[in-house]
Amino acid sequence: MTALALMLALFLSLQLQTDMTITKQYALIAGLEPLEFVEVDFVYAVLPRLVVAMLVGASLGLVGSLMQQLTQNPLLSPLTFGTSSGAWLALVLAAVFFPDLGVESNTMFALVGALSAMALVLFITGINNLSGLPVILAGMAVNLLLGAFATAVILLNDQYAKNLFIWGAGDLAQNGWDWVQWLTPRMCVGFVILAVAPRVLTLMRIGQQGATARGLSIMPQFLLLLLLGVWLVSSAITAVGVIGFVGLLTPNIARYLGARTARDELFYSLLLGALFLVLTDAFAVWLSKFTLDFIPSGTAAAVIGAPALIWFSRSAVKAQDQMVFRLPQGISYLKKRVITAILVGLISSILLASLFVMKESSWLFSWPDAFSWSIRWPRILTSLAAGAGLAVAGTILQRLIHNPLASPDILGISAGAIFALVFASMFWGITIFEAGPLVAFSGAMGALLIILLLGKKHDYSPPKLILTGIALTALIEAFVQFALARGNDDVYGILVWLAGSTYRVSAEQSVTLAFSVTLLLLVAFSLSRWLTLISAGRDMAFSRGLNGSVAFVLLLCLVALLVAFVTANMGPVAFIGLLAPHMAAMLGAKSVKQQLIVSALIGGFLVQFSDWLGQVVLYPAQLAAGILVSIIGGSYFILLLIKGRVSNYN
Amino acid sequence: MLIRQRIMQCIKVFMTTVLVVFPLFSQAEVTVTDSQGNKTLPDYAQRVVVLNWDLAEQILELGVIPVGMPDIAGYREWVVQPTVPNEVQDIGTRVEPNYEKIASLKPDVIIIASPQADLQNQLAKIAPVLFYQTFSASHDNAQAALDNFSYLAGVVNKQDIAEKKLAEMKSKIQALKSRLLLAYDGNLPAVTTMRFASTTSVFLYGGNSMAEYALDQLGIKPALDLPSTQWGIVQKRISDLHTITDGTVLYFKPFDQEAALSRSRLWTSMPFVRANRVNSVAPSWSYGGAMSIKYTAEAITESLLELAPTQVDDVNQ
Repeated sequence: MTALALMLALFLSLQLQTDMTITKQYALIAGLEPLEFVEVDFVYAVLPRLVVAMLVGASLGLVGSLMQQLTQNPLLSPLTFGTSSGAWLALVLAAVFFPDLGVESNTMFALVGALSAMALVLFITGINNLSGLPVILAGMAVNLLLGAFATAVILLNDQYAKNLFIWGAGDLAQNGWDWVQWLTPRMCVGFVILAVAPRVLTLMRIGQQGATARGLSIMPQFLLLLLLGVWLVSSAITAVGVIGFVGLLTPNIARYLGARTARDELFYSLLLGALFLVLTDAFAVWLSKFTLDFIPSGTAAAVIGAPALIWFSRSAVKAQDQMVFRLPQGISYLKKRVITAILVGLISSILLASLFVMKESSWLFSWPDAFSWSIRWPRILTSLAAGAGLAVAGTILQRLIHNPLASPDILGISAGAIFALVFASMFWGITIFEAGPLVAFSGAMGALLIILLLGKKHDYSPPKLILTGIALTALIEAFVQFALARGNDDVYGILVWLAGSTYRVSAEQSVTLAFSVTLLLLVAFSLSRWLTLISAGRDMAFSRGLNGSVAFVLLLCLVALLVAFVTANMGPVAFIGLLAPHMAAMLGAKSVKQQLIVSALIGGFLVQFSDWLGQVVLYPAQLAAGILVSIIGGSYFILLLIKGRVSNYN
Repeated sequence: MLIRQRIMQCIKVFMTTVLVVFPLFSQAEVTVTDSQGNKTLPDYAQRVVVLNWDLAEQILELGVIPVGMPDIAGYREWVVQPTVPNEVQDIGTRVEPNYEKIASLKPDVIIIASPQADLQNQLAKIAPVLFYQTFSASHDNAQAALDNFSYLAGVVNKQDIAEKKLAEMKSKIQALKSRLLLAYDGNLPAVTTMRFASTTSVFLYGGNSMAEYALDQLGIKPALDLPSTQWGIVQKRISDLHTITDGTVLYFKPFDQEAALSRSRLWTSMPFVRANRVNSVAPSWSYGGAMSIKYTAEAITESLLELAPTQVDDVNQ
């Protein structure tokens, strides 16, 4: 049935892309030598594109299903393992530092980048720990870190990276059969997967213990399959760029359509993957007939994929997360010394930002003149408020969804703000900076509204919330990539905004932000009893007379408002919401109130210090606080996760 | 066309008024024009900080060395000419210029473009700010670049140089045009210019691009009718180029996949490739100032002469 649908889709897609008669098309496929341009176009552009769409779609679908079954995690996408961001960073580095390398070496770069990123994610989570949310969150952390590195490099060398954006947007267009020839041998491992995987996966359903009891050690085969899968995906994205959703969506559709056995799911996912990509690519081609600039395939896939993902997975996702919140290990109680140290750090960082003066080849401390001060204090205030706000948002969210690895970014709130701004700048012909915080704020609120509406159906279960957030974020990322691929000089402004900088925050804005954040922090503080109860599990909260749903929605809105205020003013700042609560807990802030206060202090310190550092390291150029925070925080976080894992083993 | 004439008329009227009225206010103040209208400066600007590359290019062409401009390394890599002397100070990036650094240069005037439009109030605390918009969907970019060149000349008191350079450019383009006419026996081909984004997609220079304006000045029509856009570029699939049946296609370098292109059946069956009406053009900055029109026209002519049926010797050499 699915195979039939695929044939039909292939046929329709062909008719959409050429005006030739069907007999002529058949003759050309059968080997007639093309003469006219339309014929050449058919044989060397339309057909290879269709074949690549099928190959890539099939492999993404297959690997998506393989990985979801291996990890028994329906939220896992092949891109979760950081493959696309690893490949992206590698390509950006290659383009900037070795611009004269040929296409072949670039391909190697992308492949190595993708595989290293996966190795990093696996190392962080550990092979035995792939079934829950941790792997998704660890993958997200790696994605954020590598993405921040790539953005920093691009911002400092924007012209070099211009032609890469098309790859970033994911495009299937072909010029000749070169890529098909490159891809086909690499896709052969797909057969190995189809042959080996069903047995292993079936055994895994019984459970690892059961399998071992039958005298089977699954681990080597498990690892082999994982490696083959990532190899397949890396090859696919190297060839065509980032095309999201297929790998995440198709296994969910396959299960929805009734694929029960492991083999069925693999097979149907493969077919559905091919079908989905052929169809969305045809959609992209069709849309491009009406638009001035062409629409990349990845954008079309995301536009169709995001709603489809939310629809098809609505019953598939079970609550499989740990339902009781457990804090990360660390010092067992909060020492006065620690608080003093944080305060000293915070105050010296503020002094540094106020008094430090950079010169060409030297530096000195001096009292700022009126003008310098008028430039400096709004940035100091903004970074402090932003850091504290995001840290508190993270603290609340982690306890709400019972996961110490959650970051407010996953809700898609900042993605909503980004979408509104990029949209405004693309269609109103203004720069992204002129669009202003109001537009960003309404975008963020729009995203919140979507999350609340969609979340209501399933009583705001954490996995569903994250799924909606992932879908929203991926959709918006695809849209941003499309905007970046248009290759004009607006791109630079969009990238700078995405970096998360305090540069453009005016005095009034900074005061408003500080005021709003302080107000929201006070609300959060006064609701800390709710949080304590919810941390202990929703049932517990309910039995103590707390209306779980209402409290949950209110706290979620609080998180969203904090993120929205910060993002609207200084752009997206990743990691603080993840890192600050984590550090606070490690330093001994165990109760809700303690964690709220300590994480706010740490968050404020981190963003403010990064903001100052960003202004001096590349003087007179500046590096956005958001990027530096991601790089510093991301590296620290990954080290911490690795260390934590190693000590768990000992 | 009508609008362009009208703009030219306005400028003429304005220039005459300025020239007539000017001596009356002599010494005390200088009236200058930017994209926001007329403004007064205490005197002609000596120390200029310019925050966008196209305007920096204009200022340098006027023979004035700015005290500060952004991302000089990037400029030297991508805009290339005119060259930036070593004494010019770097003031950071184009979108986040360093306020304190700018203030320390004690400029007489700060010249900004649209990427810095929202910084105007903040910058005005340092020195008077002049805003010149070059790239907009609602006007002719090339004409704006030419107008801005004259306006900027009024700011730094180099009106004579501006007039001379504009006249020179006009006659240079005329000379290029006659060489082309000679080489093509009076029948200039229709030409479309572009940049490769990859082997499957291209950025076409359409209405409102410097390249199309340069072609227009050379008396050459576009081979593909493309609407005007803010930046003058449109991104298309390579297959879409096949509709260029009689025209010539020129692509700006750098493009590192020419070998792959020459192997491509799709590319080699394009009508203009079959008829050998395709050539590369020396690199040139697409978002430049007035004089970039001249450089673009020169590069295009160079490339077209290589394709010409009759090879003519350069009389100037």
